[in-house]
Amino acid sequence: MMRKSPMKQENRQTISGADFKEYFQPENLQKALEIKAEYKEELKVAAGSTDLLVANYEKLHEIEYWLDLVKLDELKEIKVKDNKLHIGAMVTHLDLMDSDLIKDKLPVLAAAAEDVGSPQIRSRGTIGGNICTSSPAGDLLAPLLSYEASFKLQTEAGERIVKAEDFFTGPKRNLMEADELLTEIIIPMTENKREGAWIKVGRRKALVISTLTLAVVMEFEGEKIVKAGVAMGSVAPTPVRLKGIEAVMIDQTLKDLDYKALGKEVKSSINPIDDLRGTKEYREDVAVDVMVRALNEIERKVSS
Amino acid sequence: MQITITVNGAKRELEVTPYTRLLDLLREDLGLTGVKEGCGKGECGACTVIMNGELTASCLVPAPQADQAEIVTVEGLGTKDDLHPIQESFVEAGAVQCGYCIPGMVLASKRLLDEKPKPTEKEVRYGLSGNICRCTGYAKIIDAVMLAADKLAVEGSDSND
Amino acid sequence: MTDQNKRIKDYFCKHTTRCTIEGVKKSKRFVGHDILKADAWDKVTGEAVYPDDISFDDMLHIKIKRAVHPHAILKDIDISRAKKVQGVVDIIVAEDIPDVRQFGLIIRDQPVLIAPGEKMRYMGDALAIIVAETKEAAKKARDLIQVKVEELEVITDPFRAMEADAPNIHPDGNIVITHHLNRGDVDEAFKNSAIVEENRYQTQFIDQLPMQNEAGVALYDERHGVVDIWAATQWLHDTQADVAQSLRLSKDQVRIIQPTIGGAFGKKEDVSVHIHLAIAAMRTGRPVKLCFTREESMITQSKRHPITIINKTGVDRDGYLTAWETKFVGDTGAYASSGPAVVHKGMYHATGPYNCPNLRGVSHAVYTNNTYAGAMRGFGTAQGAFAYEQQMDILAHKLNIDPAEFRLKNIYQKDSITPNGQQLTHSVNAEETIKRVMELSDWKGGRK
Repeated sequence: MMRKSPMKQENRQTISGADFKEYFQPENLQKALEIKAEYKEELKVAAGSTDLLVANYEKLHEIEYWLDLVKLDELKEIKVKDNKLHIGAMVTHLDLMDSDLIKDKLPVLAAAAEDVGSPQIRSRGTIGGNICTSSPAGDLLAPLLSYEASFKLQTEAGERIVKAEDFFTGPKRNLMEADELLTEIIIPMTENKREGAWIKVGRRKALVISTLTLAVVMEFEGEKIVKAGVAMGSVAPTPVRLKGIEAVMIDQTLKDLDYKALGKEVKSSINPIDDLRGTKEYREDVAVDVMVRALNEIERKVSS
Repeated sequence: MQITITVNGAKRELEVTPYTRLLDLLREDLGLTGVKEGCGKGECGACTVIMNGELTASCLVPAPQADQAEIVTVEGLGTKDDLHPIQESFVEAGAVQCGYCIPGMVLASKRLLDEKPKPTEKEVRYGLSGNICRCTGYAKIIDAVMLAADKLAVEGSDSND
Repeated sequence: MTDQNKRIKDYFCKHTTRCTIEGVKKSKRFVGHDILKADAWDKVTGEAVYPDDISFDDMLHIKIKRAVHPHAILKDIDISRAKKVQGVVDIIVAEDIPDVRQFGLIIRDQPVLIAPGEKMRYMGDALAIIVAETKEAAKKARDLIQVKVEELEVITDPFRAMEADAPNIHPDGNIVITHHLNRGDVDEAFKNSAIVEENRYQTQFIDQLPMQNEAGVALYDERHGVVDIWAATQWLHDTQADVAQSLRLSKDQVRIIQPTIGGAFGKKEDVSVHIHLAIAAMRTGRPVKLCFTREESMITQSKRHPITIINKTGVDRDGYLTAWETKFVGDTGAYASSGPAVVHKGMYHATGPYNCPNLRGVSHAVYTNNTYAGAMRGFGTAQGAFAYEQQMDILAHKLNIDPAEFRLKNIYQKDSITPNGQQLTHSVNAEETIKRVMELSDWKGGRK
């Protein structure tokens, strides 16, 4: 055998074989819905792929049918219609944090988007992907619950609107049917003054799956709280909305609220577990502190 | 399946499979081995490229999703004889140790300085937050980005004259 | 290459640094000057060649089938279905390489492949080497290999491993090595101490996590009988010798060529891809490549030792250490690796930079079914530091004195003698260091 000298990898385009059966990359939604109707759960749906490729590392070649939504430009818009904000499912975290409309109307969502992963993840990962992955730690999910978002689920034949708080059924589980695609996130706007706070607790500032998240949104008429949304992530099998806490806040002013007592109330209304990212005890204690911090933050914003 | 991408300014038509990641495509098919695989799960930033102007973990992009994209890898910045000011700053600031994270760091710095030519240290840390260095040379890497900002500012003012 | 040689010669540097200052050139000295790394240019442009960047035209890809249980006897391995995967060139199991010997850094206790009838001792043990035309084919074949095992008790705690009724992980028992340390009269000194404090400390597994995973390429030159391996190692000649003895080759038949290393921090002291690469290259006659995934690197290669440290420390009324008794039990995992050296090195540093006249210590490096532990920055001393500094804080608290003052009283000076009998004859600046830290941190005496 001839002696060879090593060489650096060179440009040598080859086809390494085709195990996959179909890679669909439709350019309009109708086509995507038709494909979804035909292949249903056989399909792996790719949005930003930041979860998909992690979950399927080393076994991408085992995926037979792909539905890639990356060319559906109609799902990449953020717009206002009928006094509601409509966010396309393929809008990325980066789009959210950079959008003036989102920063102005939904600052808690913008802040959460800014805390997702890293610049490399935010540029690809999408709001629709974050919702459909349905991890209890999904960073955008608590803000969506706080803003009383609804999700538009479309099929080839029709559509339905599902409230965010009804959507999640368990860790990485939701009520979507096999022929449905999430196409739009719809969030009501308001004439009232709306303030909020976002807190993410994790082991690092970047590239970390949340130990606990809290999103608080309040609507004021004068000083009176007329509406409240309080939701948390990573404290239960799904992201949870704490309606008991909200009820305490309604028709009160911030001055009337006992922040510490509310924090303790939060602690008793969640059901966290021990895992790699924190113990049950730690999460319960931190829940008290973050609630107080969030209320202080809102107080500062309201008074300024 | 066929895709068209522009890599470091050159337009290419390539035959890809969905289990080829953009990372594999760049490294194995195009020989751009400056793109590194550190974890394969988007955690470390060694595989960072600039895709359509944004930092992207090339290990998390199925090659077909890169269709029509514009990609910049470290090879697109400068050569050994003609370093880009950012690369030059990394050499001069002693920011390079084992070097495995450096192509990603250089590209993250480029993306940052393109948007914020005069970043604060906090902005540099945020801009590089998706890139891990295990030799823990962060202090010098941040020095390098600051130095690069100065160099680019001088160059910029020259060209404006 | 000539370009680089010229450059290095110009700047009078034999290694990988390069001077920036002309004055330095004349004086031929480097201390006190900024120097630039000669390979930085390659690294900032992406031109530096790391193991995974090396490629040959007709190269084959390797994947390793790993253990399916942390402690089990391999009853049967069936590769028949895996062999049918299109693109698979060879699947090598233990019976194909009967002459290959075990390897290891200090004790040769690691099998190259587990044979039927033998035990897998942790999840990283290799059962088969799959060689294929593509990575995908190798992965697919790996996942089709069927394995039958007889499960044994899994030992994850070194204290369980040391119990009389614990099953032996290796034939000679579970304690790899024991070291002792003795100086002065500890018992008498404890009796005369004002305070004696005993505590138990536990450290955890830590992965060195270099940015680059273990990877390599090998090529067999049949005519010369030489196998070339491009893969990272921290002990070039030891790795060469270990690979050669394992494969029953002479050392000049094994060439380890060091590409650029993407970090190591101790993890790359152990043999990783080398022997499997050589075997595959020699069997197939083609260039072969093996790259670990991050997960594989974490499961398979060494870690920092978790060490249980029991420290009993005495002080007199004036705040001087009188006696120190210590026990180090290090979990070295399934294989010895650097464990025999790491754990007792930790024990010899048990008192840190503090003078103590009477010492007694014992250390055990113990086999378990965890991933093996080896070298990592500090080599056992980082674990010890956690324990002795805690011990010092607790004692200062009990003595009701400033922990910094307490340390200064006991800190090494010139001519101090370390636990293993070394006299420190020069450059002892520990006191200066503490004082500087107190100054810089605006030290206010610590919390009561």
